[in-house]
Amino acid sequence: MKIKTPVLTEVVRRLKVGDRVEISGPIYTGRDAALPKLCRAIEKGELPKLGLQLEGAVIFHTAVSPAGIGPTTSNKVEIEGSIPVLSRAGVRIHLGKGALSADTAKVLQETGAVFMVTPPVTALFINNIRSRRVAAFPEDGMEALHELVVEDLPAIVAIARGESIF
Amino acid sequence: MLTDEEIRNAARDALVQASTTFRPDQVEAYQTALERETSPQGRWVLEQILKNAAVAREKRYPLCDDTGIPHVVLEVGEQVRMSGKAFQAVAEGIREGLRDLPGRPMAVRGEGLERLGQTLGMYDDPGMLEAAPFSLYWIPGNVLKITVLMLGGGPEIRGKTMCVFHRHRGENVIEEAGRWAAEAAAALGCTPCVPIIGIGRTQYEAAALQLAAALEGDFTHQSPWEAKITEMVNNTGVGPLGLGKSVTALGSFVKIGPARASGVRIVSLRLGCCFDPRRATVVLKDGGEQNEQRPINSDLSSHYRPNANKIGSGEELFCFFSAFYRPKFTSHYFGPAKNLANQPAGFLSLSTRARPGPF
Repeated sequence: MKIKTPVLTEVVRRLKVGDRVEISGPIYTGRDAALPKLCRAIEKGELPKLGLQLEGAVIFHTAVSPAGIGPTTSNKVEIEGSIPVLSRAGVRIHLGKGALSADTAKVLQETGAVFMVTPPVTALFINNIRSRRVAAFPEDGMEALHELVVEDLPAIVAIARGESIF
Repeated sequence: MLTDEEIRNAARDALVQASTTFRPDQVEAYQTALERETSPQGRWVLEQILKNAAVAREKRYPLCDDTGIPHVVLEVGEQVRMSGKAFQAVAEGIREGLRDLPGRPMAVRGEGLERLGQTLGMYDDPGMLEAAPFSLYWIPGNVLKITVLMLGGGPEIRGKTMCVFHRHRGENVIEEAGRWAAEAAAALGCTPCVPIIGIGRTQYEAAALQLAAALEGDFTHQSPWEAKITEMVNNTGVGPLGLGKSVTALGSFVKIGPARASGVRIVSLRLGCCFDPRRATVVLKDGGEQNEQRPINSDLSSHYRPNANKIGSGEELFCFFSAFYRPKFTSHYFGPAKNLANQPAGFLSLSTRARPGPF
């Protein structure tokens, strides 16, 4: 199934565990360093200052380095801990790897968001990237929040509608 | 005599090759895994990994964005002549390779506690990443084999080096190592995994043997104890990327070294990820008339290579390679010698130096 970003709520609602998707359009990246900062900005009402469009957004849990991109483990405290705040702020697809807790699965269901996983196929991802730019927190270097424009980025739905593949 | 430049170039090329190319035994292991995997999601993951390998090979892109810490193994032929700067030349080649790849810039700035706490951030230059201490082995003949292995971070988090009581039954040691691997497989994330295990007398020796296991390991030649560990991990049902079911381990590499008269063996496990082992060897021949007429005396060499129980020992590799050598200096890329017959055309060619980076 092909998905264009920003993702419409009804598109996410139709997704079920095990669906294979290809994502195209702008997506954000963030991991241990940037995601907690983004959450704090949201909680302080400072999101407009950052100029990010989180409604219907995809956040890929990865660094962006000269070596490319690849999913980091999403159940690290700083990353999984960001999912509730970001989902309430409009993020619809969290993309990474590894199992998430039942509590997080519940939050995803309540907020109409899903968790997807993808293998660490860096060479393929390089072919999927059309452009990249630092969107926020440049001080974090390769862990800064980047905006990537991707085409047909492969992923599989791991948690949706309260169900988990793990 | 081998020049420092030849040695530097060989180390550089081995690093890029290891980081970008699946060996034939890896491709074969994935193809077999695809036949065995019963979960459609698991099969999808395996297919993505194979597609990734094809693109990485063609475009010389890194297989994974965690490009890893370089580990160097030097196998020095007794007749090889090289300068005392050869080791510096290898280090320079590693630095060049990391810049060419490019590697992920992950060398940490600062000294002492600053470095431990990563409080000063990282160097932007991928070449600042130092290789781990080199491993050195003596082999017969007039070749220098430079192997570079790139060790990613996730498998280090899931590995450990500890003593195991054998209770006078070798299987107890293997089964304990298998339990470690099986327990850690779900947390690794990047499955199918490859348990890579060294068993020796000390913590240091076991860890060195673990690297030797990665150096020699071959998915198409599995010992009964390697097969046992693979079976134990596959019984977890974790599957590729944790999505289930059949293929959690692609294979296992075990290196059994010398034993001490004692109730314990020291076991070192690296739970390798779906790209392990990222490994390539460049072989340099110190040929020429001078060397052939005046063989170098090897009496001063010390020979220690714990290769007694493994197919594909250094000596066997040498014998196979020697048939391919040209009379003058040359460098080739080889996978393990035992797979050479299966290698696709072009595998022996030199890498292209000038190539655009991923970004």
